Formats: sequence, C-alpha cells, structure tokens
Amino acid sequence: MIISLRHPFGLMLTAVCALVFVYLLLPLVVIVVSAFGDTGYLAFPPKGLTFKWYQAALANPRFIDGFLVSVRVGAVVASISVLVGVAAAYAIVRRPFMGSSLLEALFLSPLLLPTLVLAVALSIFFSAHNIASGTNRLILAHIAICIPYVLRVTIPVLRRFDVTLEEAAMNLGASPSATFFFVTLPVIQPGVIAGATLAFIMSFDEIDLAIFLASPRESTLPVTIYSAVQLGFEPSLAAVSAWLILLTVCAMALFQFLIGRRTNS
Amino acid sequence: MSIELELRDVARNYGSAVAVAGVSLQVSKGELVALLGPSGCGKTTTLRIVAGFVKPTRGSVHLSGREITNLSPHKRDTGMVFQSYALFPHLSAAENIAFGLKRRGVSRTEIGDRVERMLALLKLEGLGARRPSELSGGQQQRVAVGRALVINPAVVLLDEPFSNLDAQLREGTRIELRRIQQELGLTVLFVTHDQAEAMSISDRVAIMNHGRIEQLDSPRNVYTRPATRFIASFVGKANILEGRLVSRSSQGALYDCEGLRLLARESGDGSDGALVLRPELIRIQRPGPPLAAFNMVTGVVSGVSYSGPVAQLEVSILGDRRLNVEGSGALPLDFPPGSHVALDWKADDLVVCTR
Repeated sequence: MIISLRHPFGLMLTAVCALVFVYLLLPLVVIVVSAFGDTGYLAFPPKGLTFKWYQAALANPRFIDGFLVSVRVGAVVASISVLVGVAAAYAIVRRPFMGSSLLEALFLSPLLLPTLVLAVALSIFFSAHNIASGTNRLILAHIAICIPYVLRVTIPVLRRFDVTLEEAAMNLGASPSATFFFVTLPVIQPGVIAGATLAFIMSFDEIDLAIFLASPRESTLPVTIYSAVQLGFEPSLAAVSAWLILLTVCAMALFQFLIGRRTNS
Repeated sequence: MSIELELRDVARNYGSAVAVAGVSLQVSKGELVALLGPSGCGKTTTLRIVAGFVKPTRGSVHLSGREITNLSPHKRDTGMVFQSYALFPHLSAAENIAFGLKRRGVSRTEIGDRVERMLALLKLEGLGARRPSELSGGQQQRVAVGRALVINPAVVLLDEPFSNLDAQLREGTRIELRRIQQELGLTVLFVTHDQAEAMSISDRVAIMNHGRIEQLDSPRNVYTRPATRFIASFVGKANILEGRLVSRSSQGALYDCEGLRLLARESGDGSDGALVLRPELIRIQRPGPPLAAFNMVTGVVSGVSYSGPVAQLEVSILGDRRLNVEGSGALPLDFPPGSHVALDWKADDLVVCTR
C-alpha cells in the first residue's frame, strides 16, 4: 500500500518522520557547525568562520594516537568476537547441547550488568591475576561484552538458513569444513558482517571499561576526548567528533556501494 | 545387467516410530526405479539413507559393489536433486554446476568444458552467469539436475524433482529427464508421490506403504497385476470386491461376493481375497437375457463424471454397492443416469489380492 503524501494521514506521517530525523540529526549538525566558530570556546550558533579547529584536531598527536589505538582495539575485538561468536551461534543453533537454549536466552536478553560494574570487577580481577597486561586487558574485556552482540545478530540468521543447502554441498563431495566455508559462511555473510560491525562500533565507542583497563600509555579515543573535556571544552573536541562523523559517513557510503555492487552483479 | 545400487533389509526408526521397516531393493546400471507411495510411507527416508543423510538402524547399503552404509555423505558417489532444488544462492548457475567438480579437484579448463556441455544439454545456454534468484522455476530445476549429473555419480537420486513445477511444464520436463537418463545411461532412484510421474518414466516402480515395499515391478505389471489391495486402490482407479472362495477348477477360481459370482483366472493362494477390476475393463450394455452364470451383473447408472476423452459412470449393483465403469466420452449419451445396464468382464481381467 502506498500512502499519498496529499492524504491527511500521509502528511502526518511525513511530519512525524521529519521530526524524528531532525531530533536524531540536529545534535550532529550542531557539533559540525560549531567547530567552525572562531572563538576559544564552543558556541552555537558559531561566531566567525575558521578551519583552525579542524586542523588542530588533526595536528594533535594525542587524538591521532587515541584514534589509532581505538581502531586497533576495535579491529582485534571485532575479529575475535566474530570467530568465537559465529562458532558459538552455530553450535547453539545446529548442535544443540544441554543448556544451549538457556545460554541462548541469556545472550539474547538485554544485558543487565552495567559496564561500570564490570569495569571495576575486571580491574580487580586483572590486578589479582596476571593473565594479561596493557591494552590486552581492554581487548579481553571488550570481547566479553561484544560476543553477545555477535550472537544476537548471527543466531537469527543461522535459524533462517536452509539446512538442505549443506546437504546439497555434502552430496556434491564437500567435506564438513568445505561445506561451512563455501556454502554456510557465504550465505550467512551479511549477518557475520553486521556482527563484526556492531562489535567494532561497540568497542570503538566504549568508555567505562577503557577508563579502568586501558594502559595509560595507550588511551583509546573516547578516553582521550573525555580527559580533554575535563580540562576544558574547546572547539577542537567538536572538530574531532566532526571528523569521526565524516569518516563514518564515508564508511557507510563505501559499504553501501560494495553491497549494492554485490547484489547487482 | 550389473547391480549398481543395493539396499539389504534397510530399516530406520525414530524412537518408537518406524519410518522404514525393512526395504530390500536392487537397481541395475542404467535403470530408473521410482519409489512411489503416499506421504509418510518412508520413500524419502529411504532416499536419504542412500545419500547418507540418515543412518539406517538396520541393514546395509551397497553402491557399485562397495558397502557404504556408514560412509559420510560427501564420500558417497551420489548426485541428488532436492525437492526445493537447494541451489546455492550466492553462486551463479554455472558456479552451482561447477561446485561438485571443484570439490573433486578437477582442473579449471575441464570444469569449464563440462559445465558448458551440461548447460547445453539442459538448454541453459547463456544463463550460466545468472544467480538462482534470476532464473525461472523450470530453469532452477534444470540447474539442480545439471549440478547432480555433471559429477557423473554412480546413482542419481531425485526427491520429488517435479513437484514445484506447474502442470504443463512438469510433463515436458519428465520426458526430457527420461531422454537424458537413457542417453547417458544413468542409474536413477526417484522418489515421488505422483503415480502418473512414476508410471510414465520408470523402468520399475517400487510401491511403498508403511515403510515397506509392497510391490516392485514394471509400471505395467503394477497396474494390471497389483499385489495388494493397497496397490490396487493407490495406482489408478479400481473396483475392489471382497470375495469368498467357492471352488477351484481348470477354468479358474470361483468366488462369491454377496451373491455375485466371480470367476478369476488366477486363484491367488487359494484363500478368500479381494477381486480387483479396473473400470475400463468392464463392458457396459443395455440389459438382455443373462447368458453367463458369473462375471456379469445388472445395475442402474447412479452417477456420471465427464472429462473430455473419457467418462466415468457409477453403477449401483446389488442394492447399495457401486461399480465404476470407464469408457469413451460418448458413454453418458448412451447411458444417462437412471438407465438400466448390464455389466460384464473377462475372467482374465479379475486380479485376486489376498493381502
């Protein structure tokens, strides 16, 4: 059914949608625009026009280092979470064992434990047991909170997966591992990519665990920004955020382009 | 003819439920055998046991002279066409067909050649680059067939391969499949619930019921000489009259069915049984003086069903019994409902089923 825009209901629907988009996007616009302001403090609407805060953000090695640490941590966390998460999801869906439905219910229910509590607990744990040091502590902690997200995305995809495809592959001579890598994995790939993206974003954005567990010499970007905010809210912080927004938009556009090309071919 | 596939007393239980209750079957090289039966008769489970997806609880499976009962599916030399086709959605038609060859380590140039030949054989030229979602149902079905045939399996397994095609396409496709099967000399085990499908293209038909093969014979014998009451009623239309054996002579066996005297050429195993009479083998006439003492009855036409070339008449006999009579489409003109008729048939056409 297509609702005409001229119809009163269609008009109302459009208005509500527009309001929601404004509500979601306005904060981002404020950040991007106010970073152009030529004042020493953050103001909206901005006074004057300058690119110096954008340049300053890129010139500040603390932000660049923080960004690189966050990307590295996020990439490692996403990779390991996907490896463990997809394998666990496959086991839960395809080789049910005693307690697997309980595990699934646990993973699929909203996470109730505040990360701050987890952060305190883990920092006590890591200081008592010397199993990891430095950034590795943070990576381990992030993996623990990211695996459930991978499971949440991949379990429904695996449930929808047509098992006869695996039978067809085996019938054609594919060993169980070849069947998984040549048939199962490519078919559930969108779910796996979504899980990896989610894990990366979770890790990149996470601050509670990072404050407690990150090595002081290797602060993640959220921690760097947070400590900078404590010293004073200058426009270069808004510029850092604006650069991140730009990067995200570029990544999304690239992603869409690649997905679109894949489905069109 | 050498035996390619053999099942020896194969059975499969699911808890207390019996899916297959002891099936023995031999398929010769180049033969097409259909497993025909109603849903739940165990035919699909039998096929899946051959493919290795289901482990039998008893019995053994042999392929090309080798026992494969406990062999993993991917090590078996079978090519299966699934009811849903199970084409890989992320691969093109050509890549789907090439899948089995790649797993077998066939060289790239040979894969290209064999895929091209298969596409040509199945009239899929120019469609190799398309994804399954971009193909029609009939084209998808042919890709699924090509994917199973290109690996030259010792036996091709077909699981209701035509059930997702519309009626017009179905008939052409099964004739085409039969042509390819004979051209390439393929050994085929074919599961279907559609008797017309099984009868029209098979060398032999195995009729299954309650997990057992009730009869394994040529399509013609299955129809004209059904072994059991179930087969008589399942394959084609049949009048089934329960008879009591009265006497046996050189002429045949005389049965009594509520006053109706029936002489059958075959006497079965000499006990009471069901007498099977095909509707098209009954002669229908206007009533005259009774000539014979058996295989003849008078009645009243109580129903007519017309379907172009043929027509079915329902004739009430002996009060509340009904006999179905089939004849040409002109039959209802000569014998409208309510007309008195005399029916008779040959002793050779009565088949006695004691099971």
